[in-house]
Amino acid sequence: MGNDLKFAIECRTKGDINCIELSGYLDAHTAPQLEDEIHDLVKSGKNKIIVNFNNLDYISSAGLGVFMAFIEDVRFSGGDIKLSSMRPKVFSVFDLLGFPVLFDIVQNDEAAIEKFNLNPINGNE
Amino acid sequence: MNRKDSTYYKFRCGSSEYSELAKIRDFISENALGHGIGEEIVSKVALAVDEACANLIRHAYKLDKSHEICISLQINPDNLEIDILDDGQPFNPLEVPTQNMKDYFDRYQKGGLGIHIIKKIMDEIVYIPSDTDHPQNILKLIKQVKCNC
Repeated sequence: MGNDLKFAIECRTKGDINCIELSGYLDAHTAPQLEDEIHDLVKSGKNKIIVNFNNLDYISSAGLGVFMAFIEDVRFSGGDIKLSSMRPKVFSVFDLLGFPVLFDIVQNDEAAIEKFNLNPINGNE
Repeated sequence: MNRKDSTYYKFRCGSSEYSELAKIRDFISENALGHGIGEEIVSKVALAVDEACANLIRHAYKLDKSHEICISLQINPDNLEIDILDDGQPFNPLEVPTQNMKDYFDRYQKGGLGIHIIKKIMDEIVYIPSDTDHPQNILKLIKQVKCNC
């Protein structure tokens, strides 16, 4: 019933920026996979992270919780987790709880990279 | 109580584990979408039901896979009514204080957003704890929306 594409993560590196592409659905069942992935990046000192949501169909609070778990430490170390290419359905879940106040949600990866390059610390204004 | 002008669907999870959540969402979406309800509302309601069931699995069942979760979906002319039945320790989500999201972000808090999402999405939430006559707890979630029954 459409559950075959459960969840997948693909990682790419562009210089010192790490891009994580998500597909499928991010719920309490699949969120630990993403948590492990971001944990590994942060642990190895990689703190400029873009998460691309273009192929993500669904997110629940378990998925939102993964970003909350890391954002403080990543920003404290001078990096950021930028969220890009969200479909309206997924953005509406972030928006429902006011997450755009805390997270930098951008149109696409290029916009995120540009922000990181303009301001190497955090990539924020 | 089933009404004459309503349509009724029922789903029983094979086990009480997170891998069932996708099936639960599909159950809500596939049955509700056929009744003239917009996709945006259906996906929000499926999210609320996902959050309620994930809370049950984690907090009431403590990740023990051997429990029951039964869900009924009633499509009424003016609303969607979902009953989630469990056999865990009674826990009334309505007693959880509403999350202040500014404080939440200021303190970089983690977790605890499921009930907040349910309260944001649903119009009415009723909790009926188990008793000697009814061995299961019932969480009733109601969304006001015009439906073709």
